[in-house]
Amino acid sequence: MTNDISQPESDRFYAGALDRIRILMIVLGGALSLAAWLIFGMRPALGFLLGCVIAYLNFQWLKSGVSGLADRATNSGKAQSGKGIIARFLLRYVLLGVAAYVILTSFPASLRGLFAGLFLPVGAIACEAVYEVFTGITRKS
Amino acid sequence: MRQLSRIFMTVSALCFAVPAFAQGGTGGETNWVAITAGFSMAIASAVCGLAQGKAVASATESLARNPAARPGIQFALILGLVLIESLALYTLAIIFLKVK
Repeated sequence: MTNDISQPESDRFYAGALDRIRILMIVLGGALSLAAWLIFGMRPALGFLLGCVIAYLNFQWLKSGVSGLADRATNSGKAQSGKGIIARFLLRYVLLGVAAYVILTSFPASLRGLFAGLFLPVGAIACEAVYEVFTGITRKS
Repeated sequence: MRQLSRIFMTVSALCFAVPAFAQGGTGGETNWVAITAGFSMAIASAVCGLAQGKAVASATESLARNPAARPGIQFALILGLVLIESLALYTLAIIFLKVK
């Protein structure tokens, strides 16, 4: 079996995966929030949207935290303080906890929507995996 | 370090002991769902923490050995961390759905 994708092209394809996942998260979050509004009503949809926003921020902060960690490990790029990296990692959990507490105390009905929204990155990664498999199959055939 | 872990284990055992020896109510029914939910969340958090620590340690070591492979390692690390975190979130979601 020969691989028709040239090495730089495949590198570029896989290098864009994180950006594609980010865009997929925005598209999926918007579309599924709209669908939740139409099917379940406003409060569960708002809970879902809040979960999506938290999941998106979580993903972005995780990405920047890992990037800072890699900068320190390789001694390249702008040197970030270790405290800042750790604070960013911990702030994600604080944000998640505060949002869950606010939802639980004010709108318990939308808590399920919030939890569903938190799984947005998993859905986006699954879509990206399907896209990569599809692209690999269509380029080889 | 060993002494610190012993202190931590003792404090954890005391935390478990206080509710375990509390006087029961008149009903006498034990809410097993809540108890197992607590244990399952603790186990999930612990194992996810261990997995994330191992993933970050391996990735950092690989980056230090081979800085040229940074994009691939960084991408795999981010995906790994997200998927490991989602496992703990699955447990949390199940607990919230089951515990009334």
